[in-house]
Amino acid sequence: MVDKDAIRRINECKEICLAPDGKEYPVISLKAVNSIARDKGIAPREIEIAALERDIVPRRYLRNMGTIACEGQAKLLRSAVAVVGAGGLGGTIIELLARQGVGHIIIIDDDCFGEEDLNRQLLSREEDLGEYKAIIAARRVREINSAVTVTPFVEKLTRGNAYKLLKDAQVVVDGLDNLPSRFAVEKACRNLGIPFVYGTIAGFSGQLMTIFPKDRGLSSIYGPPHNLPERGIEVETGNPCATPAMIAAWQVQEVIKIITGIGKPLRNHLLVLDAREGAADKIELSR
Amino acid sequence: MASITVRFYSLWRLYLGIDRLCLEVDSLEEALAQLEERFGSRLREQLQVRGIQVAGKMGDYSLVLLSGINLRNLKQTRLREGDILHIFPPAAGG
Repeated sequence: MVDKDAIRRINECKEICLAPDGKEYPVISLKAVNSIARDKGIAPREIEIAALERDIVPRRYLRNMGTIACEGQAKLLRSAVAVVGAGGLGGTIIELLARQGVGHIIIIDDDCFGEEDLNRQLLSREEDLGEYKAIIAARRVREINSAVTVTPFVEKLTRGNAYKLLKDAQVVVDGLDNLPSRFAVEKACRNLGIPFVYGTIAGFSGQLMTIFPKDRGLSSIYGPPHNLPERGIEVETGNPCATPAMIAAWQVQEVIKIITGIGKPLRNHLLVLDAREGAADKIELSR
Repeated sequence: MASITVRFYSLWRLYLGIDRLCLEVDSLEEALAQLEERFGSRLREQLQVRGIQVAGKMGDYSLVLLSGINLRNLKQTRLREGDILHIFPPAAGG
């Protein structure tokens, strides 16, 4: 609970910062946020939200103001996002969500880092080989943004545990590497009434879309889930370093739009990005 | 007879060297047969050169959407004027 004394201290710590656009913003430093949080026994995130509600910007989010403003930032800090898979897509998604200031990140992955991950999985490091991806990702989130609550699950998402793992999330993001799991997560999200941001990659190309519970979804693209191959063409093409980053970055934009209500999520349309050919195509899906 | 547009994406676009074409056909089956005849062996060769083995016709190992719906979901396959056939390699990586 952010009490009157905490509010008084937030106001006392307020400084005025001149942003590049010439506007003056009241800001509060990371050090001040952490100091008030520590003294009052409150999570730093609650101090940040209380500041934003009074139009005082935690300095770390200053460059977010032009796009999402205090209101959008507070919405993000109050939100929980689950990332299923912490590999190529998931690692970049997690890093960006932490920097953007999503308040609670739930990470689900039962795999460990291997050498073949080093070319593209942002969170993999030589010294972390053999370590669980979810645990390393959680550590990275804490290093980037200590105000973020992070909950790692070293588990494979199944029909049996989907409710337990996803129930607290406002949005679920796809960092998976196979089709059956994607269909399972999509189904769980529909049952829970949670939007699902799908993304996948192969070679220099990738595709993504946002699937709200009543929207057209994976079966419009792939057909019914039975008799589908588990893996796609990426088994042969591999994935160079920038392809997961390209798709993951756009998936994060979708999350930001869904939570803040700003912009237009990519619903009922598949966006196909082809870096090799320099092409971007948007395919409208039907039922 | 319907005029339809065919779009290739991603690696198929690269391997076939074509982005889009128009077909005048009576049925979906005829469209797929024409595409197989014109591009099937070329795509298979391109894939084989890269060590990728595929079985069947192009429509069997590709994702094929008729005006935004996967062919496997279609109950009836009647073509309408202006339909678009989207054809791309299946991707599942992450």
